Amino acid sequence: MEIDGVAPPVAEKPLFEPLKAHEMSDGKVQFRKVSVPPHRYTPLKKAWMEIYTPVYEQMKIDIRMNLKARKVELKTRVDTPDISNLQKCADFVHAFMMGFDVIDAVALLRMDELYVDSFEIKDVKTLKGEHKSRAIGRLSGKGGKTKFSIENATKTRIVLADEKIHILGSFRNIKIARDALCSLILGAPPGKVNSKLRQVTARSAELF
Amino acid sequence: MGRPSEAAGMEALHQLKSTEPPQWLAPSASLSESARAASQHLFASLRPHVRKSPFDELLVDNFDAEQIWQQIDLLTQPLVRSIRRRVKHWEKNPAEIENLLPEVADGGKKVAQGKKMEEIDDDDDDDGGDMDMDDDDDDDDEEMDVDNDGEQDGGKDEGDESEEEEEEKSGGIEDKFLKIKELQEHLEDEEARHYGLDAKNKKSKKKSGSKKLEDEDDDSEEGEEDKEEDDDEDEEVDLFAGGDDEDEEDEMGNARYEDFFGKKKGGSEPKPRFKDELGEDSSSGEEEKEEELSSDDDDDEEEDDDENVNKKPKVLSTHEKEVQKIKSEIEKMEKANLDPKTWTMQGEVTAANRPKNSALEVDLDFEHNVRPVPVITEEVTQSLEEIIKKRIIEGQFDDIKRAPGLPSKAPRELKPVDENKSNKGLAEVYEEEFVQQTDPAAAPLSFSDEQKKEASTLFKKLCLKLDALSHFHFAPKPIIEDMSIQSNVPALAMEEIAPVAVSDAAMLAPEEVFSGKGNVKAEVELTQTERKRRRAKKKRKFKAVETKKMASKKAREDELRKQKEGTLLVVQVTHLCCQINVMLNQKL
Repeated sequence: MEIDGVAPPVAEKPLFEPLKAHEMSDGKVQFRKVSVPPHRYTPLKKAWMEIYTPVYEQMKIDIRMNLKARKVELKTRVDTPDISNLQKCADFVHAFMMGFDVIDAVALLRMDELYVDSFEIKDVKTLKGEHKSRAIGRLSGKGGKTKFSIENATKTRIVLADEKIHILGSFRNIKIARDALCSLILGAPPGKVNSKLRQVTARSAELF
Repeated sequence: MGRPSEAAGMEALHQLKSTEPPQWLAPSASLSESARAASQHLFASLRPHVRKSPFDELLVDNFDAEQIWQQIDLLTQPLVRSIRRRVKHWEKNPAEIENLLPEVADGGKKVAQGKKMEEIDDDDDDDGGDMDMDDDDDDDDEEMDVDNDGEQDGGKDEGDESEEEEEEKSGGIEDKFLKIKELQEHLEDEEARHYGLDAKNKKSKKKSGSKKLEDEDDDSEEGEEDKEEDDDEDEEVDLFAGGDDEDEEDEMGNARYEDFFGKKKGGSEPKPRFKDELGEDSSSGEEEKEEELSSDDDDDEEEDDDENVNKKPKVLSTHEKEVQKIKSEIEKMEKANLDPKTWTMQGEVTAANRPKNSALEVDLDFEHNVRPVPVITEEVTQSLEEIIKKRIIEGQFDDIKRAPGLPSKAPRELKPVDENKSNKGLAEVYEEEFVQQTDPAAAPLSFSDEQKKEASTLFKKLCLKLDALSHFHFAPKPIIEDMSIQSNVPALAMEEIAPVAVSDAAMLAPEEVFSGKGNVKAEVELTQTERKRRRAKKKRKFKAVETKKMASKKAREDELRKQKEGTLLVVQVTHLCCQINVMLNQKL
């Protein structure tokens, strides 16, 4: 090393590339496992490729179906760009298992701000027997038109699974849909719900 | 008829006198005879006193009562006048009466008697005499009686006589209330005042004037108006000063029956009062008044003692009079100003501050804030009904129409909520939304936009057709650069809806119709060599096509054969292998 007069060469600022998911977890691989309910088994089989393709190729997450355990397993790869991909994929698969369509569930992969909200009818109002059946009927409407109207108005997707209700969409829209559904459970007529929806959506449309 | 003797005449008179009144009712010849005789006698007795008379004696034979009367009248008229003159003269000079008395006494009696006879004669006449004549005779009678009685009454009597005489002379105009003599005197007084007499005189005359007003009724004529004017002036001035008003009112208020009508038996106080004034006035005299003003002064001085002290004894000039007038007026006005104002002139006056019911007399004027109540008449109701009928027929009712709301904002685009399951996935929905936000142009048309587009195209089509029909504002089809098929149809059919004429011009241009190359010649024009060339060309084409076909066929067949061969080979190979296997197996 030279001393006196000659300054030591300043080392260049090191450039670090962003950590890969792989490296972030210290080289370990991360897993997610999503159980498959029996009623979604056949739809999963039918829609496997649609699920697999975006996950594997765009999200760069390994996905496989564990037939024995009846679970979908997700795993990060070395070249997974972002650690959140795994979670998104897991949510995507989970949404599919809840009952959403693949094309709707894919929105989860594409957008960050979408969530899934679930609640039960008994959370809103305790209903028994026929009342419950009637409430469920009110929620869906004739041929599902009430449900569809809510979906179209609020840009959400709703799954009515007997007792449980799942809503997929952005936070605000989920709220609106939930209010509508709750009012239906409580006994409001569909016409009233429709008119309210219209008002709300118009207002919300104006805001943006 | 010859003139009867005096005795006969006297006898006739006595006879007339003695007859009972009822006997006069029925006409009797003896009575008329005696009456004629009596009148003749009287006539004869009077004749010597009259200087000139047409008749020497009264003609009564076969004469009518009227004729006899006229004769008497002709005789007595001048006589009465002369006697009156005499009396007046004696009024002025009472001393002469004494001289006359002894002479007159006998003659007077005779005259009196003659007069009485005449009077009675007149009464006797069947037709009756005039009241005037009777009055005149009465006057003469009384006059004679008074003369006979003596001189004791003197001036008073004369005044009385003159008064009464004049009073009863002018007949209808005058009565107890109206005395023209007094009227004249008052007028003269007023004149005197106007031309410069003292106030005392005026006052006294004023009072007398007022008294005359009280006494005289509405029968007054002529001079009454003048008097009243003067009095009115006084009274007007007096009205403004309340005090004077009251005084006059008191004067008027204390009037009694006696003042107007006098006591029944003889004149008591009112008459002497008049007499006093008249006496004083008469002393001044009508004729002397205008000439002698100084004598008035003396009389006025007498009056001063009776009444209040006067200010100016001397005569004033016109200017001084005017000044005095103005001064008096000024005094009055000052007094009015000093006094508290009438209630109308005061500001706010409540009911307690003004006399009772005084607001009714005053002409009040104030604004009415309330519209006057409309008077409903037949016409008003008629007009209203007509209006109603007209409106009903027209159907024009004044119904209230809802006011249109203000257009504040453009109406929101209400998307009808789709009740069907959406075809797009959620992701696509958000994708579209995102794209619209970031890049609106590239965004796919929304539902409403598509509808709008459809609507606009429809409308344009409609407008085009309408314009074509109208011919004025025709616009040709808009050039939409699309691939469109051009059919070879006459142009007219495409462009004109109402074909006026038909043309055979084709839509396509000839060069477009022509499908060929180079120099085109008809068959007729061709030369030999060209014909040959064409044939050769045709042949070549045909051949080329044929060979192609053949080639393709061949290719297919070859493939098939190959396949077959292949399969055969395979089959053969397998067969061989089997054989080998068998052989091997056999060997084994």
